[in-house]
Parts: sequence; structure tokens; C-alpha cells
Amino acid sequence: MLRIRNLSASVDGKPILRGLDLEVHAGEVHAIMGPNGSGKSTFAQVLAGRDIYRVVADELSFEGKGLLQIAPEIRAREGIFLAFQYPVEIPGVSNLYFLRAAVNAVRAHRGLPELDAVDFLSSAREQARSLGIDDVMLKRSLNEGFSGGEKKRNEILQMKLLEPRLAILDESDSGLDIDALRIVADGINAMRSPERAIIVVTHYQRLLNYVVPDYVHVLVGGRIVRSGGKDLAAELEEKGYGWLEGQAIA
Amino acid sequence: MSTVLTEQNVYAAQFASRRERLPGNHLAWVERLRQKAMDDFVALGFPTTKLENWKYTNVAPIRRITFEPAADRRLVSIPEFACHERPRLVFVNGWFVPALSSLDARSDFPLLTMREALRDPERACVIEKHLGRYTNTSDHAFAAWNTAFFSDGAYIEVPRGFICDEPIQLVFIAAGNSEPWACYPRNLIVAGEGSELTIVESFIGSNEAVYLTNTVTEIAAGPGAVIDYYKIERESSQSFHVGVTNARLDHDASLTSHSISFRGSLVRNDLNVSLDGEGSRCTLNGLFVVDGRRLVDNHTRIDHLRSHASSRELYKGVLAGNAEGVFNGAIVVHQNAQKTDAVQHSKNLLLSREAQINTKPQLEIRNNDVRCFHGATIGQIDADAVFYLKSRGIAEDEAKRILVRGFAGEIIDAIRLSTVRDPLERQLEVWFQDVLEAS
Repeated sequence: MLRIRNLSASVDGKPILRGLDLEVHAGEVHAIMGPNGSGKSTFAQVLAGRDIYRVVADELSFEGKGLLQIAPEIRAREGIFLAFQYPVEIPGVSNLYFLRAAVNAVRAHRGLPELDAVDFLSSAREQARSLGIDDVMLKRSLNEGFSGGEKKRNEILQMKLLEPRLAILDESDSGLDIDALRIVADGINAMRSPERAIIVVTHYQRLLNYVVPDYVHVLVGGRIVRSGGKDLAAELEEKGYGWLEGQAIA
Repeated sequence: MSTVLTEQNVYAAQFASRRERLPGNHLAWVERLRQKAMDDFVALGFPTTKLENWKYTNVAPIRRITFEPAADRRLVSIPEFACHERPRLVFVNGWFVPALSSLDARSDFPLLTMREALRDPERACVIEKHLGRYTNTSDHAFAAWNTAFFSDGAYIEVPRGFICDEPIQLVFIAAGNSEPWACYPRNLIVAGEGSELTIVESFIGSNEAVYLTNTVTEIAAGPGAVIDYYKIERESSQSFHVGVTNARLDHDASLTSHSISFRGSLVRNDLNVSLDGEGSRCTLNGLFVVDGRRLVDNHTRIDHLRSHASSRELYKGVLAGNAEGVFNGAIVVHQNAQKTDAVQHSKNLLLSREAQINTKPQLEIRNNDVRCFHGATIGQIDADAVFYLKSRGIAEDEAKRILVRGFAGEIIDAIRLSTVRDPLERQLEVWFQDVLEAS
């Protein structure tokens, strides 16, 4: 589904990703772990099409199509979803209005009819309820004044409504208490399916206790320095990242 | 007197030949009011950018044109005009058009035109107490010009304790194909003690005609009166609009103003509120969306004259193309105005590199027992927010439209009247579409 060969990205001439390789197939859950500043968030943003980065790669393709020249909104419509580490607050735009605009943009691309406000509200409510999001939060301005946990849950709601083929979750666990972490993890697990791939970007192993990955990759210095199964996460939790950091230079 | 033909002398000559036909000409005090105003206008001349209050607004384009007083009150064709709400008073080029108006016959609520009201001796006595009392013609040339020339307008006198639940629509249409003309509407609203009313002033021009609307509205709010005042400006794109609204609030009175400016090549709105009673309060909201080479200037002044009065002010500007915007908001807290509570914000969104905003919030405090805050912001569309929306499949233009709507939302969503809010929402969309197409 996603093929990456020798991906590099820099911002203002400063290299962040330096030759990253990764292959993700439908049905798989991959965890990208790494210390702060290793390039995890950049990687997530580059996949979503953030234009502040200069990106070069031998290959960056999604379902066989090159992504480098594709605008972020087209990527989203084709089925790539990024749950932001820091969702943007947008005053004056109601959460519900935004969600419907997004869902309808994606539906139009897939040749499906637009949902009207009433139909959309009922489907959004149902998904929202499972994430502990009430009507008040649906009607408030998008992310404005939301707590950290509310923002993260709202990202998961967007993912559920947009039904992506590839979901990238950037630090979706940071700042969450136990209850909120469980809600978010359940939301992610509910998305697991043979047709869908999930990339979980995280600093800590915590989320991976709930969302058990098929593969774990360690990103250090803009490169994947080690890949393994779910046990690698536990090993990192125990040893930290220090023992791998020497390998980044190699 | 000099015999040089200055611009203001052109209007002095017009005045001399028309004064006999202007409303209220049978009343000596109206005659004097008009004459004094004409003298003031001639003495003041057109303001120049050397004057602090006109620093960023050059009225030379108005000065260069000779505007004939509008005589044509026939409705040519106004496709955009679709006001079906009532009660409404409709004026074309400043003159009342009964056929387009709809007056509810309520015995307890006189909704009259200024011309009619001045003919009624009893009402004329009330009008004399208020007309021109809140408007200083010796320091504002356009207000002086209007006072000398005013044609007609609404006279609304709400009796004590009367709650008027229907918004009153005052519609000012500019229409014609002639040489440049000027309209001089004049409104007076006198709200009795404990009364409530909503007034919607709409200024509409439908073609590319060149004209000037020079309008003045005076509002006198009695003790405890509650007034919602809307001014919606949608003049033609080649037009000029200079409007002054002066309000005086008695104790515990409340004024909520929504000032929306959409079109016109040069628009200047002055809104002055005197909080001249204990516990009086005002909320002034403004939204101006400007594109092309147009200019919109909002000047507001709030005088806190008594104690325990409060004011809230929020003006938002969206500027595209080569547009210019001006916000100048003065809050003056006078010596006797203890426990004043005043908050003022000017927030502006620039959609292009060439668009400009000059914003100047001013606070003048002659008292130390006050709580005042003011601030101004100028920003562009947030690139992070655009990316966030795009990452959800929303196209770039649509993302920007959503963000502009979000920015304006603070003003639009505060509008209680759906008959004002919904069209505004649509007009903002159309406006933004035009901006996108022009860029």
C-alpha cells in the first residue's frame, strides 16, 4: 500500500529525514518510535503532504501512485489520513460544519452523494458517542478551547468518519489520562481491518499496550535504525533509545 | 466673502435654490438649523488628510465630483431589492416611496417619515428637542452638509414602555442613470423610557452608477431603553457612502450596534455613542469586507460620561486585493465616569500583500477608577490551519473560505436577526468567490 525508498526531507536547508525506507501493506499496523527530534512528526507530516518540507525520494507511492506531486487534499481524498499531534484551533468554524465539509469532500471524490446536515448529524453523533464526544463539543468551534484529550478524541472521530485506507496517528497518546487513552486506543483498534493500514507514531510504548503493532520501527536521526516485532517496543521501554542512537551515524 | 468657486460654494448655491422645497421649510427652527449647518459646511470645506480624523481617508474623489441633489424618486429597476419584511420604510435616493413601504397601522406606535412628522405640530415639538442635538455640524463637514440638505428619512418615536418586537426596516435605495447625484437621508429615533426596538438600516445600490449617500442617524435612548441598531451598507461599487450615527444613552439604557460594510468605492462610517447616564451600556460590533481598490473607514467614539457604564467593541476587517481599511476607535472616559468598564478590539485579516489596514484604538482616561482594555491585531490566513483543512480533503479555496467565514463568524454569529444574518452569510460567500476569481 505504501512504499518508501530513500526518503529525505529538509526544512530551511536543515535535513530531518535522511534516507528512510519503509513498506506498509494493507491490514498491517506499524509503530514508528524514536526519541524527540528524530523526525517522527516530520515523517507523518510529509506523508500527509505538508508543503514546508523539501522532499526527495527514490520512491514514495501509495497504492502504486507516486505521492510527491500530489496535493494534501487529494491525498486525503485518496485515503490518507493524519491525526495531528497538535490539532489546529479554528475559531468561528463549528466542529460539525468542518466534519461535514471534510466528509463530503472525500465522498465527492469517491463518487458518493453528499450527506445533508440531518443525515450527517445522525452518523456523526453515533461515532462521536463511542468516543465520549457530546453534542456540545460537536457544535463548538473546531478545537477551540478543547482540552488536550478532547482534541485527540476529535482527531479519532475525524478518522472514523473519513474511513481512510491509511491512517497515520502522530502522538495520539500524548497528554492523555488512562481513560482517554483507552478511548483513543479502542477507536484505533476499531479501525483495524484487512483493507486498511495504520501507522502509529509515538515516543512511548504506552499506547502500544492497547494497540498492538505488527511491526515496530525505530527512527533515529531521520533514518530507521532498527525494525522488529512488537517485542521491540518493550525492549525500548526498558532500555531507552540511547543504545540505538550510535547507529544513526553509521 | 470670497467669490472663488470652491467645491463647497457649489453646494451653497444648490442650497440657496432648493431650500424652499426641503422638508420642514415652514418651521423657523428647521430653517435656522439648515442655515447654520450650511454655513458650517462652507467654513469647514471638505476634510483633508491633514486632519487627524481623515488622515487615511482622502475624500478628493468626492470633492472632485459635483453631485446634484437627487430628484428622481422613481424606482427604475432594483432586482436585488427584495425586502418583504415589515414594518418597513423605503426611500429611493433619499425620498420616501410609499408604494414600496409597508406600515403597520398601530395607533400606539408612530412610524413616520421625517417630512410627515415635521408637518405635525405636536411631533415637530418633540423633533425640535432632538434633531441636530447629537450632531455637531461645526466639526464634521459631511454631517453639516447632510443637516443642510436632508431630504427625508424615518422618524421613530417609541412610547414609554413600549416593546416593539418587529424589527423596523429602513431601506435606502440609490437608483438612477443620470449625472452623479447625492442622497441625504436623515433619521431620528427617540426611544422612550423602558422601551425596546430593533432598527435595520440598509443602504443598497444596484448598478455601477456614481452617487453619494450622505446619511445621518440620531438616536436618543431614554432611561432603560434597549435598542438594537443594524447598519448594512451594500452600495454600488462606484458609489461613495459617508454616514454618521450619533447616539445618546440615558441611565441604564442599552445600545447594540452591528455595522456591516460590503461595497462602495469609498465608505466612511462614524459611530459616536455618549454613555450619558449611569449604568448605560453599548456593544458595538463591526464587520467590513473590502476588495479591489476600495476603501472602508470606520471611526467610532464612545464617551463614558457617567459612572458604572460599560462598553464592548469589536470591529473586524477582511481586506483583499489593493483594498484599504481604517479603524479608529476612541474611548474617552470622562472625569465623572467612575467604575467604567470598557473593552475594545480591532481584528483584521489581510488576504493579499497589497491590502492595507490602519488601525488605531485610542483610550483616553481622565479618571482612575476604571477597567479598560483595548487591542488590535492584524494577521494573514494561518498556513497551519489551511494545511489542517486540506489534510481532511478540503480544497485550498474552500479551506480559505471556511477560515474567512470563521474569522467573520464572531460578528455574524452575534447577529440575532436571521433576516439579517442569513443574507449576510450568502453575501460573504459571494464576495469571497469574487475575491478568489480576481486573484
